[in-house]
Amino acid sequence: MSEQHSSNSDVAETPVAAVKSLKRRFSLVWLVPVVAALIGGWLVVKALTEKGPEITITFKTAEGLEVGKTKVRFKDVEIGQVTGIIFSDDLSHVVVKAQLAKEAERFLSENTRFWVVRARVSASAIYGLGTVFSGAYIDIDPGKPGKPTHNFVGLEEPPVVTTGLPGRHFRLESERKASIEVGAPIYYRQLRVGEVVAYSLSEDGKKIVAKVFINAPFHGFVRQNSRFWSASGVDLKMDASGLQVYTESLVSIVVGGIAFDSIPSSHAPETQALEDAIFKLYSNRQAAQEQEYSIKNYFVLLFEESVRGLSPGAPVEFRGIPIGQVVDIKSEFDFKMNKVKIPVIVAAEPERISIAGKLPQGVTRENLIDHFVEKGMRAQLRTGNLLTGQNYVALDFFPNAKPAKLVRAGRYGHTEFPTTPTQLEEIGTRVSQLVAKLDKIPIDEIGQDLSATIKGARRVVTSPELMETVKSLNAAVQELQLLTAELRTRTAPELTATVEQARKSLAAAESTLGADAPLQNRLTTALEELAGAARALRVLADYLERHPESALFGKGKPE
Amino acid sequence: MKTPGPTARDAGLVACSVCHLLCPGQPPGRQARTDKCPRCGARLYSRKPDSIARSWALVIAACIFYIPANVLPMTTVTSLGTVQSDTIMSGVIYFVQSGSWPIALVIFVASVFVPLLKLFVLSYLLISVQRRSRSRLKDRTRLYLITEAVGRWSMLDIFVVTILVALVHLGALATIQAGPAALHFAAVVVITMFAAMSFDPRLIWDAKEKTDE
Repeated sequence: MSEQHSSNSDVAETPVAAVKSLKRRFSLVWLVPVVAALIGGWLVVKALTEKGPEITITFKTAEGLEVGKTKVRFKDVEIGQVTGIIFSDDLSHVVVKAQLAKEAERFLSENTRFWVVRARVSASAIYGLGTVFSGAYIDIDPGKPGKPTHNFVGLEEPPVVTTGLPGRHFRLESERKASIEVGAPIYYRQLRVGEVVAYSLSEDGKKIVAKVFINAPFHGFVRQNSRFWSASGVDLKMDASGLQVYTESLVSIVVGGIAFDSIPSSHAPETQALEDAIFKLYSNRQAAQEQEYSIKNYFVLLFEESVRGLSPGAPVEFRGIPIGQVVDIKSEFDFKMNKVKIPVIVAAEPERISIAGKLPQGVTRENLIDHFVEKGMRAQLRTGNLLTGQNYVALDFFPNAKPAKLVRAGRYGHTEFPTTPTQLEEIGTRVSQLVAKLDKIPIDEIGQDLSATIKGARRVVTSPELMETVKSLNAAVQELQLLTAELRTRTAPELTATVEQARKSLAAAESTLGADAPLQNRLTTALEELAGAARALRVLADYLERHPESALFGKGKPE
Repeated sequence: MKTPGPTARDAGLVACSVCHLLCPGQPPGRQARTDKCPRCGARLYSRKPDSIARSWALVIAACIFYIPANVLPMTTVTSLGTVQSDTIMSGVIYFVQSGSWPIALVIFVASVFVPLLKLFVLSYLLISVQRRSRSRLKDRTRLYLITEAVGRWSMLDIFVVTILVALVHLGALATIQAGPAALHFAAVVVITMFAAMSFDPRLIWDAKEKTDE
C-alpha cells in the first residue's frame, strides 16, 4: 500500500484514481501445456501399447484388397487393416501387409488361416453378399494353437469349416468322385447337416477320399453302422409298386450331395462314430441300403452250356433270395474231354443265410456248404428276364442230381461248386413224363360209359310216365284260369263297395274331429275351464300354505 | 526509428484495459504487482501480466495438441459398409486427387496452414520479444494483427465436420462420425487463440523503448 501512495505522489501533474492492489496468484496457465502433454503422452502410450502385430499374408491376387481400406475381421469383428500390398520377390504372388489389433496376437499361430471374403455365387449358395457394397475383407480362422508366426499363406478359397464350429469330421471312401465337391451338402433325412470339406485321391490312386464335416448336433447320428451314399441328382426306380423318385433336395440335383442314414444291423454296434471315422460311399441309396456282408466266399461254377445272358454283376440267388453275384466269366477248352467249359466265378455271402435250429452232427458253419452239396445243392443257369434274356445263377436243391463234391482250391484258386444243367433240358424230361401220364388215361372205357349214359337219358325222356305228368299239368293250368275269371267277375265289385263305405266313414270322422268341428270347440272350452279351476286350486293351496288357520277360521278380512 | 510520443508507462500511468480509466502506473521493476481499477474493478496492468510465459505455455500446449490433430482421423465415413477414416491431410489429398482444388485449398488453408502459421508467428514473436529484437517492429505488429484476425477461421474445419456429422446420418447408406482428431484440432485452435490474446503486442515495442532510453 505504501508503494502505491509513493507512486501517486510521483505523478502529481496527472489526475489519477486511487487503486487497490490485488494479490498476485500463481499462474495456472502452465497447467495447459502440462495437460496437453499428458493427453499427448497418453495417446502415444495408448498407441504403442495397443499396437498389435504386423503380419504378412501371401495371396495369388489382391483382388478386392485396398490399402488402408480392407479390414481383417474375425467373426465379423474388425481386428486389423491392410496397410500395404507388395509383390513377392518372384512376382508370382502378392504379399499383403496387415496391422492387427493387439488382442489378435494370441490368434496367430502356424495353423491360422487367412482368406479373402468376396461375394461368391455357387450353385448351392451365395456367400458374402455384404461385400458387394462394403468391399472384400480378410477373414481369419485362428486354428489350433501352434508355433507363433507372423507370416502366412492365405487360402484362395474360404475354408468350409472353421475351427470352433462344433461337429465332427469323417472320411468317405469311394471309387468314383461322383458327387463329391467341396461344399457339397450332406443330408440326413433330407435335412442338411454338413458339407464336404475336401477330397483327394488316396495314395494308391484307387480311391477318392472325401473329408466331410457334420455339424453338431447331427454328428451324433453318424453311427458305426451308418451308410453314406451319393445323393446326386434324381434316383428313379421303376418296380411293381410303380415309379419312385428319390431326391434329397433341389440343391443336390444341381451340385450333388451325400446322404447318410443308419442301417439297422446286427453286425455293427449302434455307437457313435468317432472323429475321422472312415465310411464307404455308396453309389446310390439302394446300394447303401443293401446289406453289406463282410465275408465273401468265391466259388467257381463250371457250366457246359451257353452262358449267354450272364454277365458279371448278375445275381446269384438261392430260391429267389440274392446271396451273391457273378464276378467273372471265363472260358476254357478241355482237349482231353473235347468239351468247352465255362468257369463262372461268383462271390457268395454266406452270412445271408442264417441257420435255424441245431446243426446236424459233424456239420459246422465252415463245412455247411459241403453238407448242402451232399444234400443236392447245385448251381444252375436260369433266365431271369424273358424279354432281355438276362440270366442269373440259381442255387437250389436237386435231390435227383448226380452226386458231386466241392473241389477245394480248384480253378483260379477258388472252390469249385457243382452245377446242374439248365432247366431247358429238364423241361424235356417233364414233357415226356406228362405224355406218359396221358397214355395211362383209359379213353375207350370213358367212351363206353358215356354212350350208356346217353342211352339211359333217352329212355327217361320217351317214358309214358313223363307223358302223363305233362297232361295233368295242363289240366292244372286250366283250373287256374277258371279261378282267375271268377275273381274278376264276383270279388272285384264287392271290394269296390267296401272301399266306398270306408271313405264315407272317414268323411264322418273328419267332420267330427275337424278344426271347426263343434266337438273340438267344446273340448277347447272345457280345457280352458279346467285350467281356470287348476289355477284357482293353486291359489287356494298357496293361501292355505301361508294361512293354514284359514282352513279353520275362514278367510280373514283384508286389511 | 523514433517514437511518435510518450507512452503511458513512461508517464507512470496505466490505463484500465476495460473502462480505459487512467490510473497511476507502477514503478518500473515492479511489474509483478497487480492492481485493481478503482472504477470498474478490473485488473490493472501496464503490460499484460505474465504475457510471455502464458503465451509460451499455450503455444507449447497447442503444438502438442497439433500432433494428434493431424495424426488421428478427423472423420470416419461409413458408406454402404465401407468404413473410411480420414485425417486432415488425407482429406486434402483426397480432394486434390478428385480434382476439387478449391475445396482442397480451403481445407488446407483453414486446417493446416493457418494453425501452423499462428504457431510459428507466435513463437517467432515470443522469441523476438525475449531477445529484445529491434528489427522490423512494424512488420511484427502487423503479423500479430494478422494472426489474431485469422485465428478464428481455423474453426472452419470443426464447423464443417460438425455440420457433416449432423447432416449425413443416412443409416446404413452413409454416416459420418467425428474422429478423435476433431477434439484435438479444436483444442489447437482455441488454445492458439488464447495464446494470441495473452500476447501483449506492446512488448514488441518495449524493446525499442528500452534501447531508446
